[in-house]
Amino acid sequence: MRAEPAPAWPFARELRAPLPESTDVLIIGGGLAGTALAYYLARAGVECVLVERAELNREASGTNAGSFHFQIALHQLTALETGNVRERLQTEVRLHAEAAEVWKTLERELAGSLEIHITGGLMVAETPDEFRLLHEKRELEEEAGLETHVLEGEELRAFAPYLADDLLGATWCPDEGHANPMLAAPLFAARAAEAGAELRTHAEVTRVEVDPDGGARRFAVTTAAVRVHAHRVVNATGAWANEVCGLVGLRLPIRAEGLHLNVTEPRERVLEPMVQHIGRRLTLKQATNGTFIIGGGWPANPEPAPARFSTTWESTAGNVAVAVRVLPLLADVKIVRTWSGVMAFTADLAPLVGESARLPGFHTLIATTGFTLSPLLAQLLAEELATGRGTIPPQYSIDRDPAGQPTTT
Amino acid sequence: MTDATYDLLIVGGGPAGLAAAAEAVSAGLAVCLVDERPTFGGQIFKQPGPGFRVTDPAAVGREYVRGRELIDAAERAGALLLPRTSALAIRGTTVVLVEDGANARTVEARQVLIAPGAHDRPVVFPGWTLPGVLTAGGAQTLVKTQRVLPGERIVFAGSGPLALAFPAQLRGYGANVELVLEAGPAPGVRDVLRLLAAARGNTSLLRDAVGYRARLLRDRVPLRYRRIVVRAEGEGRVEEVVHASVDTAWRPIPGTEERVAADTLCVGYGFFPSVELLRLAGCDFVYDEDLGGPVVVRDEWLRTTVPNVSAAGDGTGVAGSYVAIDEGRLAALGAALDLEALTADAAVARAAPLRRRLARKEAFRRALRRMYAVGPGIYELATPETVVCRCEEITAGTLDAASEGTDDVNVVKSLTRAGMGLCQGRNCQRQIAATLALRHGGSLGSLPVATARPPVRPVPIGAVADASLEDGGFFTVES
Ligand SMILES: Cc1cc2nc3c(=O)[nH]c(=O)nc-3n(C[C@H](O)[C@H](O)[C@H](O)COP(=O)(O)OP(=O)(O)OC[C@H]3O[C@@H](n4cnc5c(N)ncnc54)[C@H](O)[C@@H]3O)c2cc1C
Ligand SMILES: Cc1cc2nc3c(=O)[nH]c(=O)nc-3n(C[C@H](O)[C@H](O)[C@H](O)COP(=O)(O)OP(=O)(O)OC[C@H]3O[C@@H](n4cnc5c(N)ncnc54)[C@H](O)[C@@H]3O)c2cc1C
Repeated sequence: MRAEPAPAWPFARELRAPLPESTDVLIIGGGLAGTALAYYLARAGVECVLVERAELNREASGTNAGSFHFQIALHQLTALETGNVRERLQTEVRLHAEAAEVWKTLERELAGSLEIHITGGLMVAETPDEFRLLHEKRELEEEAGLETHVLEGEELRAFAPYLADDLLGATWCPDEGHANPMLAAPLFAARAAEAGAELRTHAEVTRVEVDPDGGARRFAVTTAAVRVHAHRVVNATGAWANEVCGLVGLRLPIRAEGLHLNVTEPRERVLEPMVQHIGRRLTLKQATNGTFIIGGGWPANPEPAPARFSTTWESTAGNVAVAVRVLPLLADVKIVRTWSGVMAFTADLAPLVGESARLPGFHTLIATTGFTLSPLLAQLLAEELATGRGTIPPQYSIDRDPAGQPTTT
Repeated sequence: MTDATYDLLIVGGGPAGLAAAAEAVSAGLAVCLVDERPTFGGQIFKQPGPGFRVTDPAAVGREYVRGRELIDAAERAGALLLPRTSALAIRGTTVVLVEDGANARTVEARQVLIAPGAHDRPVVFPGWTLPGVLTAGGAQTLVKTQRVLPGERIVFAGSGPLALAFPAQLRGYGANVELVLEAGPAPGVRDVLRLLAAARGNTSLLRDAVGYRARLLRDRVPLRYRRIVVRAEGEGRVEEVVHASVDTAWRPIPGTEERVAADTLCVGYGFFPSVELLRLAGCDFVYDEDLGGPVVVRDEWLRTTVPNVSAAGDGTGVAGSYVAIDEGRLAALGAALDLEALTADAAVARAAPLRRRLARKEAFRRALRRMYAVGPGIYELATPETVVCRCEEITAGTLDAASEGTDDVNVVKSLTRAGMGLCQGRNCQRQIAATLALRHGGSLGSLPVATARPPVRPVPIGAVADASLEDGGFFTVES
């Protein structure tokens, strides 16, 4: 273990300063989506203010597993096949391939460590059906421009001798890996502040008024009893996005869910790649400090706010059972803690990014695998906000779902 | 999977839990008591470890004997006593247990009594992580269960009603105690009178306290009041202890530093109740620094605010073994009452003498507390280079920098990793909170604490994994 140099967060002094009266872009939410957007906007010279109701990076962005999800994974599938969702998957894999490029250079871009490990990722299969799916998805990934390989039986054992020796095979994606979620949003926030973005904590948005004739400052956003006038608003509140949308009479096709994670004591490094399972809920990695982080989408129990969702013993015991099935050496590694986070699942699992046609100037920035995708999507949205032109795939339009169409205010 | 049901499950086999077990069985309840240690008796009545056979009980001391009596009583009554068994998680009255080397299992109980005791208050000062620095409780455990002396030249620094007990006990085992530093004042005539007034009916407590001091004086162990350890120095191990006089807030007075050569420094500035399970259960707390911090809220039968969960002993605020025993009994009677094994009249009658004794002890305890109130200076000894979180090696300087924009322990934890190691903040959490309180103003008690999460003890994955639990399979997609 290492003695840390004191991190310098000079911007933290400003977090509780009075809010500016007006701005061009007002970002709601201080997770990875919001802070990354603030950074890319400020760097492009766009005036912006970010408001966070509590503290930065304390919700999904600071509690997630830190995996880069580039391969097609269980959470994107509805059955052990790809045929039914081929088109959606193609779009997503293309996006993932782009996200992979962003992460490769992010530490340089932000001049700081995010504990990024691009060590590759394995997705294992236990049953013949799962194994067949590996081949199917690899083809799809190749078409979309993401490099993956199928490793069969003996090959997998030679490649990753620490895995259970009766696994049928795995796909290998060299671009996958992981980073430290406790570092990513804070570093984006620090660099955003240096570039001129204003960030404020303890500023919950409770009201958004729209004045269609208000011209350059058509939104009046009330937060912590102060009104801020903004030209444009971005809703980056993750699992709470519909609460904010509700303030302007919109509704998004998303649902909030609590997920469970486990962490173990540190051990000598044995596991380089990230490991997932194509048919069961598992993500598994060994972090920089030697601890194993085990997750994969097991549920946590909702609790009335402001309590955090509680973790259950069932999720603990079930999640680590999948982990030790795949990586037997975990049997004598001690689990020291579980925790939970709440995230937004979009109804079709694809991101919701861009401006609402129903309410010009109102944007959202939401992704299901939002740790992986937020830096890229923030970049794309910042580009659109800065230049008026963008490359956000139309599939991610926030008006796409009929059920999600706005009611009128 | 649930594989057992008890009327009363007791977590903790110290004086509180053992006394509760005997009482509950005598009231007709089916009782299971678990303790993570290999022997019962808890902190004070700790029994010698496996491999030691006691042939002459008198020679190992009064505490051994009293502990043995409690254990025998619980056993004779017919309580199921499970050693080496930790409670890892609790939800309602469902408790996850794991025996060393076995698989975790879930048990249902109609009532749960949590009696987990207390642990030493960690104090952070330069050099506190040097080999040779240990907590008083750690030293005591070594001596009681292993019959091993911690060193050859021992300095003891501490405070509180038990501060003199530790060095006196060490002397009793033949240890060479060079110096005893008590942060509180020397007991004055008025204190002694006050104690005597409060001590009516508490003669055993007073006898203990007086006895410890007498033992040290008789053995000519230098005993210095109003002084605390300010740092420990040495190459790879304690060689010298630096101590200083303090004011009433326990802040060192400049120019009063002295050094003493030592190879061992025992630190005992009081205790913190072990509240992990109670917090996980969802109980309400109030804050009382003198009782060790968070104190669980209880009613007259020691029920917590969570239905069918009660709490007794040092885990509810440090009050000593006599209180723990009576509280254990009282909680057992409350459980029997709730399960209708006792009528209200019978429970009230059996509880009456316990309540009388507890009330008297409360008076004694209040008098002691006034003498031994912990000063805030105890949290201000670290220098920027001092490691505060030893699991993750995070320094006071790093913590201070991270608390720039926040007064939330959880944010500092996430920015620095402090409190995320093997001990899960047991040792550093209060010091982190104190850093925040110092920087932002506000009291220790008003700061939010880290969220309680299972498991409350580290446990091997192999013991936890349960392949029969199905994951939900695919993630639903609305069409
Ligand atoms: C346990 C878990 C594991 C995960 N693992 C992974 C993974 O391995 N890889 C991956 O890619 N993704 C993972 N995810 C998903 C990922 O964490 C999220 O998609 C991503 O962090 C979303 O970022 P965000 O900024 O949109 O939301 P958040 O980080 O939740 O931020 C939203 C912020 O908005 C604030 N807010 C809400 N309402 C208001 C208001 N009215 N006013 C002001 N502020 C408000 C909140 O306080 C919060 O800080 C995981 C999620 C969880 C919960
Ligand atoms: C370090 C220390 C030294 C002390 N020395 C003295 C002394 O010299 N003289 C004196 O008069 N008093 C002393 N006391 C005070 C005295 O020990 C206590 O007042 C008394 O033991 C309290 O009894 P209890 O039953 O509440 O807790 P304890 O005696 O501490 O018993 C609690 C038991 O619960 C078990 N436990 C806790 N959590 C779990 C879990 N999750 N699963 C399973 N088991 C669990 C522990 O292993 C422990 O055996 C000392 C206290 C401490 C903490």
